[in-house]
Amino acid sequence: MLFKKTLLSSLLISSGLIAIPALADDSQELEELRARIQELDQKIRVLDRKNEIAVEEAAAKEKEKPVLVAGEKGFGFKSADGNFEFRLRGLIHVDYRSFGDDEVNGVKQIDGFLARRIRPTFEGTLFGKYDFRFTPEFGEGVNRAQDSGNTARVVDAYIDARLEPWFKVRAGKFKPFVGLERLQSGSDIKFIERSYVSNNILPNRDLGVSLHGDVLDGKLNYAVGVFNGSVDGGENTTTQDSNIDKDYAARVFVQPFKGGDSALAGLGAGLSFTYGDAEGTAAVTNLPSYKTPGQSNNFFSYAGTVVSDGKRLRWSPQAYYYNGPFGVLAEYAEVSQEVRRTDIDRHDTLKNNAWHVTANWILTGEDASFKGVSPKSPFTTDGKGWGAWELIARYQENNIDKDAFSTAAAGPGVRFADPRTNAESAKSWAVGVNWYLNQWVRLAVNYEETHFDKGGSVNNAGAATGGFTDVRDRDDERLLFSRLQVSF
Amino acid sequence: MLRNLLLATLLIPPLAYADGGKPILNVSYDVTREFFKEYNPKFVNYWQQKSGQTITINQSHGGSSKQARAVADGLEADVITMNQPGDIDILYQRGKLLPKDWQKRLPHASSPFTSTTVFLVRKGNPKKIKDWDDLAKPGVSVVIPNPKTSGNGKYSYLAAWGYAEKKYGGGDKARDFVTKLFRNVPVLDTGGRGATTTFVQRGIGDALLTFENEVQLIKNELGGSDFEVVYPSVSVLVEAPVAVVDKYADKHGTRATAQAYLEYLYSDEGQELAAKHYYRPRNEKVFAKYAAERFPDIALFSVDEVFGGWDKAQKIHFDNGGTFDQIYTK
Repeated sequence: MLFKKTLLSSLLISSGLIAIPALADDSQELEELRARIQELDQKIRVLDRKNEIAVEEAAAKEKEKPVLVAGEKGFGFKSADGNFEFRLRGLIHVDYRSFGDDEVNGVKQIDGFLARRIRPTFEGTLFGKYDFRFTPEFGEGVNRAQDSGNTARVVDAYIDARLEPWFKVRAGKFKPFVGLERLQSGSDIKFIERSYVSNNILPNRDLGVSLHGDVLDGKLNYAVGVFNGSVDGGENTTTQDSNIDKDYAARVFVQPFKGGDSALAGLGAGLSFTYGDAEGTAAVTNLPSYKTPGQSNNFFSYAGTVVSDGKRLRWSPQAYYYNGPFGVLAEYAEVSQEVRRTDIDRHDTLKNNAWHVTANWILTGEDASFKGVSPKSPFTTDGKGWGAWELIARYQENNIDKDAFSTAAAGPGVRFADPRTNAESAKSWAVGVNWYLNQWVRLAVNYEETHFDKGGSVNNAGAATGGFTDVRDRDDERLLFSRLQVSF
Repeated sequence: MLRNLLLATLLIPPLAYADGGKPILNVSYDVTREFFKEYNPKFVNYWQQKSGQTITINQSHGGSSKQARAVADGLEADVITMNQPGDIDILYQRGKLLPKDWQKRLPHASSPFTSTTVFLVRKGNPKKIKDWDDLAKPGVSVVIPNPKTSGNGKYSYLAAWGYAEKKYGGGDKARDFVTKLFRNVPVLDTGGRGATTTFVQRGIGDALLTFENEVQLIKNELGGSDFEVVYPSVSVLVEAPVAVVDKYADKHGTRATAQAYLEYLYSDEGQELAAKHYYRPRNEKVFAKYAAERFPDIALFSVDEVFGGWDKAQKIHFDNGGTFDQIYTK
């Protein structure tokens, strides 16, 4: 068989039917093929590598894409490097208020639901150092009666430039760096309503600019600012100032053991001041009224003919201490206010003050702090988690300068306020329970009882226009508050 | 008096090194990994002996221009070690992170060692590549990192331009030459280390243009017998500047450590280590010690001499719409 094939091949070759190329040509063709293959191989490698680089670059670009955020700190989005961020946050407080007495001093006390706070907050960061915040309010007592509809207002609108940790500038409408409890977020306050110090003496919010910062690794915080100025417990509106002079505010707060392991690590103490010069008019008196804890009634207001007449100085020592599940916050505030009667020649400087001590104890073992409580085991319906439970207690007083009322020689009288309708002091004690179902939802119940001293009512209502001999203490106020809080 | 002096002597060291052993971050370019991997433990040891503090040094590497932009955009580097001053200048220009005259703070314009751009070719140099002209011939494939994102790539580009300007004259002739050369560049990596991967591990190209220290690393550690180093007739002087990023060092309280970290690069030990990694040391004695063995004598021109400085070179060649964008169309 093999012999046959060889013979056939020989015959074909010799007859010229099959041609064998020269060896030299073969070698050249092989070289060309080899070069061609190498060229194609390079092209394939280049394509592969380009693809590899494109995948790497796509992965790198993916990291640079804005990030959608939906989590503990609310909802929003931010750039990949975190320098630009927008967050949507919210705070809803729906309360039920039940008064212990149907009528106090002849005024009906109406139990009912109240949307105390309905606040969406739009906040964020620009260029990694400029924070902004805008918070409108759709709830609260400024909302009108049933038929007149709600009146929305701006609570916060400011920009905060964090130029350095020790040098920041905040401008717009915001909480002045003055009151300790006031600086605590509305979602973090322990009681449903803040104390007299926050609500009746120190400013709530104001329009202005403040320099502030943290030094010594955050152990010392300072702030100085200039503002339009607001009455005690007041909140300046976004309109033009009615007063020519401005208010100045300053505060230092130290946490000397912050970051350490000692039992004093949670200790903080500070001192704040505000100073201003305000001339009131009959139309805009630039004077406050002081509310009862129920927030519906005033227990003290100046007479209609009294206006602010010059300097207003406030000062407030303040401190807190947190250790494990226990916390206490204490604050004193005093305002020295020049006042004047417009109907007669009478001028004086009155000193009103308030103070409170608020304690909290978290039964479920979470650490107490100036900020809110985040339960270790959020509440679940299957009984695996019960959230965090907290007991709270507070004592507070609000005292009015006795010179507001009386003329020593003639007995009680109207110097700057009528003792028949205004009390000289309010003393309140309160207890409560907070149930943090999770870090967003909280249920609260508070009971608060207030005793008013030296005035505020008369024994015989019909004698209100007569003498002052029937003056008696204002009726006690007993309140049962409850609240549903949703914050994110 | 003696007692006061003694007291002062006891008090000064703890005050002078008040950084408290805080870690520092060195943001560097792509091909310094191996050098700093060896340098950092030496400095940690030195600093421990000098100040009594044990510190940690964190490293970040990538294409130099990209790294510099990251710092300018907020990556909080305590020190930055780049391969061109322009990448540190932008820290002043974009964020005032350090002073404008940062180069005056350390000797040799804050550049403790230098390098140059050379060629790495495959074993036997099959395409007979000897000088820049050979890279621009048809059929030759050259690997260069992207000059827009890599200092290494910028130096290769400028080296080719400078060569052409000296040999053929400036203007259009140099531009034509560099255009031809970049026609032979099939792929652009973002950094020098990526280009090495393309050439060595992916087997692409006939020549890799990169820093002298990088080609020696490839020869010594990544298959030395498969490659040969070619020194062209002329090339560019690569200066590797370093700086403390004042704003972040002050914020972290690491200024003294960061300053010492950079000063130690100029020490005999730092310079020896640079030479070991094929960086050309500034210290003349150390350079002389290694010159014959490691640093062939070739003509080098600086960016200042040929291009009038980095600012100008950047603007004309590498900014968006610049010469490189015009000539590289792949």
